[in-house]
Amino acid sequence: MDLSQYAELFLAEAREHLSACNQLLLEWERNPTNPGPVGGLFRAVHTVKGMAATMGYAGVTDVAHRIESLLDLFRRNAHPASEEVIQLLFRARDALHQAVELSVEGRERELALAEIIAELDDAAGRVASAAPGGRVSSLPTPTPPTPPTPQAPGGPAAAPAQGRLVRVVLRPEAPLKGGRALLVLRKAQSLGAVYGVTPSPPELEADDFDGSLAFRLESSAPAEQVEATLRAAGDVEQVTVGGAEVPGPPREAASGAVEAGEVVRSRHTRVDRRRLDALMDLIGELVTARGRLSELAAERRDPAVDDVAIQISRLSSDLQTEIIQARMTPVWQLFDRFPRLIRDLARELGKQVAFRVEGKEIELDRAILDELGDPLLHLLRNAVDHGIETAAERRRQGKGPEGEVVLAAVREHSSVAISVADDGRGIDRTRILERARRDGVVEARAEALSDDQLLRVLARPGFSTAERVTSVSGRGVGVDVALTRMRALGGSIELHSELGKGSTFVLRLPVTLAIVRALIAGVGRERYALPLTYVSETVELGTAATTTVEGREAIVLRDRVVPLVHLRELLGVAGEIPPARRPIIVVEMGGRRAGVVVDGMLGQQEIVVKSFDAPQGTLPVFSGATIMGDGIPALILDAGGLL
Amino acid sequence: MSDAGIVRLLLFRVGGLTWAAEATMVREILPRLEPTRIPGAPRAVAGLINVRGTLVTVVEGWRALRQPEPPAGTQSGSTVLLQVSRGRKVVGFTVDEVTDLVSVDGAALDRRQALPGVDPSLVQAVGRRAGQLFVVLNTDALLTPILAS
Amino acid sequence: MSHTVLVCDDAIFMRTMIGDILAQAGFEIVGEAESGVQAVAKYKELKPDLVTMDIVMPDMGGIDAVREIVRLDPDAKILMCSAMGQQALVVEAIQAGAKDFVVKPFQPSRVLEAVQRVLG
Repeated sequence: MDLSQYAELFLAEAREHLSACNQLLLEWERNPTNPGPVGGLFRAVHTVKGMAATMGYAGVTDVAHRIESLLDLFRRNAHPASEEVIQLLFRARDALHQAVELSVEGRERELALAEIIAELDDAAGRVASAAPGGRVSSLPTPTPPTPPTPQAPGGPAAAPAQGRLVRVVLRPEAPLKGGRALLVLRKAQSLGAVYGVTPSPPELEADDFDGSLAFRLESSAPAEQVEATLRAAGDVEQVTVGGAEVPGPPREAASGAVEAGEVVRSRHTRVDRRRLDALMDLIGELVTARGRLSELAAERRDPAVDDVAIQISRLSSDLQTEIIQARMTPVWQLFDRFPRLIRDLARELGKQVAFRVEGKEIELDRAILDELGDPLLHLLRNAVDHGIETAAERRRQGKGPEGEVVLAAVREHSSVAISVADDGRGIDRTRILERARRDGVVEARAEALSDDQLLRVLARPGFSTAERVTSVSGRGVGVDVALTRMRALGGSIELHSELGKGSTFVLRLPVTLAIVRALIAGVGRERYALPLTYVSETVELGTAATTTVEGREAIVLRDRVVPLVHLRELLGVAGEIPPARRPIIVVEMGGRRAGVVVDGMLGQQEIVVKSFDAPQGTLPVFSGATIMGDGIPALILDAGGLL
Repeated sequence: MSDAGIVRLLLFRVGGLTWAAEATMVREILPRLEPTRIPGAPRAVAGLINVRGTLVTVVEGWRALRQPEPPAGTQSGSTVLLQVSRGRKVVGFTVDEVTDLVSVDGAALDRRQALPGVDPSLVQAVGRRAGQLFVVLNTDALLTPILAS
Repeated sequence: MSHTVLVCDDAIFMRTMIGDILAQAGFEIVGEAESGVQAVAKYKELKPDLVTMDIVMPDMGGIDAVREIVRLDPDAKILMCSAMGQQALVVEAIQAGAKDFVVKPFQPSRVLEAVQRVLG
């Protein structure tokens, strides 16, 4: 049987269980006297064990088995876990995780599990000896099984001399011989009363039961029938009835007896990532072709063609909605890895941190979620490392000793906001102002930094290394990474920070990357797409009075100053002088606005977002490109970059 | 390229010279397509084209090879899709004309040679065909710096 | 007519694999359950010829599900899917009314052998 086809399914499911283990361990660690999480932990590890055994991953199976044995002691006795045991289980979970990943990659030989196995066995021994009546052996019996009750209408088991002596030898390779022996006894009981079972039923279940058993059977069935009946219990090597040994027929694989089925149906409820991506690409092309069809239909003015075009348009929209839905993934799939990380980091830094996650069920396109891991990791690390104070410092500030970090996802109409908030010391702006003045982020005379300016300083590449002495050392690197990644995803970052109270970073992202509605703007003979998510309105240049604010041209829109960006100049578009009356597209992101001046509006349409390899020097105002209905590429403007 | 053995080369003309690229690096030859400009990109980058739904960056051959600009109005020519960075990326390269696909003995090619007006780091070898010189390009050395992001 | 099977396991991986083994042998997989509670409900609904039952599952384990199913239908044909080291649980399951068991890792031939025995 080819197992490789199951490897991905194994990996995906094992990862899920291992992630659940982390959550359950954290829960257990918070309250070691509550055995609640143990059952779930046991089940998760047990499932991984069973799957790994099936895949033939011996190392994974072995470690999982030891963890399971240790957990089983707690499951059974419900005594509180020591700090030491929980730490060991965390490490064991990590080792198991690594073993899973390496095994799937075919790198089983690199596994070094002896140490963790020894520790687990050691701990199991200690826990077992501490527990009254505890056993070190693996997975002891939950309730002592009652021995098969001899059906003895003629009297109690005290009449062993009656009936024929039957001896059964199980195949040496038979697993769980005790269970098999029980099935043999069951079969025997279907023929008549059974007495004097040796070894005794409890001994049959012992690990050292060798597979030979004997009993007396009170039955008139002929020896051949007795034998045939007992063999039906499976894994029977030899049956001897009444002292006369009956040699068994040659074994044959039962699989041969079963007709090979012609239909193999797959019942996966998971879909391979790559298949989803491929499907998305196809839908993308379909949307492009649909756009072309609509254009042609409009030119033809043929009602029949029009009807088909409209129908295709509707069908492809439905298809698109479905496929986007299939790509949606709840954020917990990413968020669940952070509690453990925060805990480890807090321990390492000797801080007390309560970590809260909100909005776990919010969904994002899988492709976006995959890109969020790194930025969030940086921001969370910063929150614990630089935001949250030590318990002593917090007390001096009149705060509770335990700091709080909150990771929250909130759905806003067409975007999702993910925030990382801490109630720590906040960012000391006076320390950063100097640097901001030097870098020209603010004017030399500036006395204060806005949140926005602060973010821009923090996001400067290399900021942190230069300012390592300050209380925000390290922030820059993370913010830099996060900001770049958000740009690439068509998202933005916002920062709010208050000295002594804490900081909050908000990442705003489109719900899906793949297909967005966009305004198509013309500049000279070039076309650019602007996702509608960030377009708040369009106005006409000339109707709104232009002024100059801080040296920049701006318009005043309902008492708010909106600086203008002339796309023609920004992008260096060649060509004839633009008409006097031109549209201004007002983009807004995280409370900041800008008016983008273009030559003309070419309409609205759905565009398929594609990435392109931006050569060196490419202006940092594009989040990707798309293919228009006529097959020619157009670049997509990034609102964040324009602001 | 090995010193010995048969090497297959795609010959093409850009400006006044004939150039060659190893056929194993050539993915496809397309007619010249009008690219979409990428603002801010180096001058040698012509822009993006759509190759069956995939966006491909195109490098203007005459600029990259420092050849004279073709006279205005000659919009014919071809775009050769080349694999760069060990096959990880595909890049378009505009040429005036694809002239031939030839098999030559690797031993018959001269290792890197100084040629007037040609950056020696781009020259992998020099060969001759029907008395005419052709320059075997190190396409990675030519395209990678232009496209570095 | 092919026999109908209800596959009960909390791991999709396991359900897929058992399902593939049985489907390739011509069985018809009529349902899947990922917990004991679901197993009982689906049994009532589907009345399959055969049930494969994992022992360790959330929301009522496999053994309790066997008890419940056998109570509903004393003739239910249930094949336990166990792991090495679960002897005591297998014994318990048999006492609860399971007809046979297979041990992970599954070899298709052994699974089919056990299925044949159970269906007799």
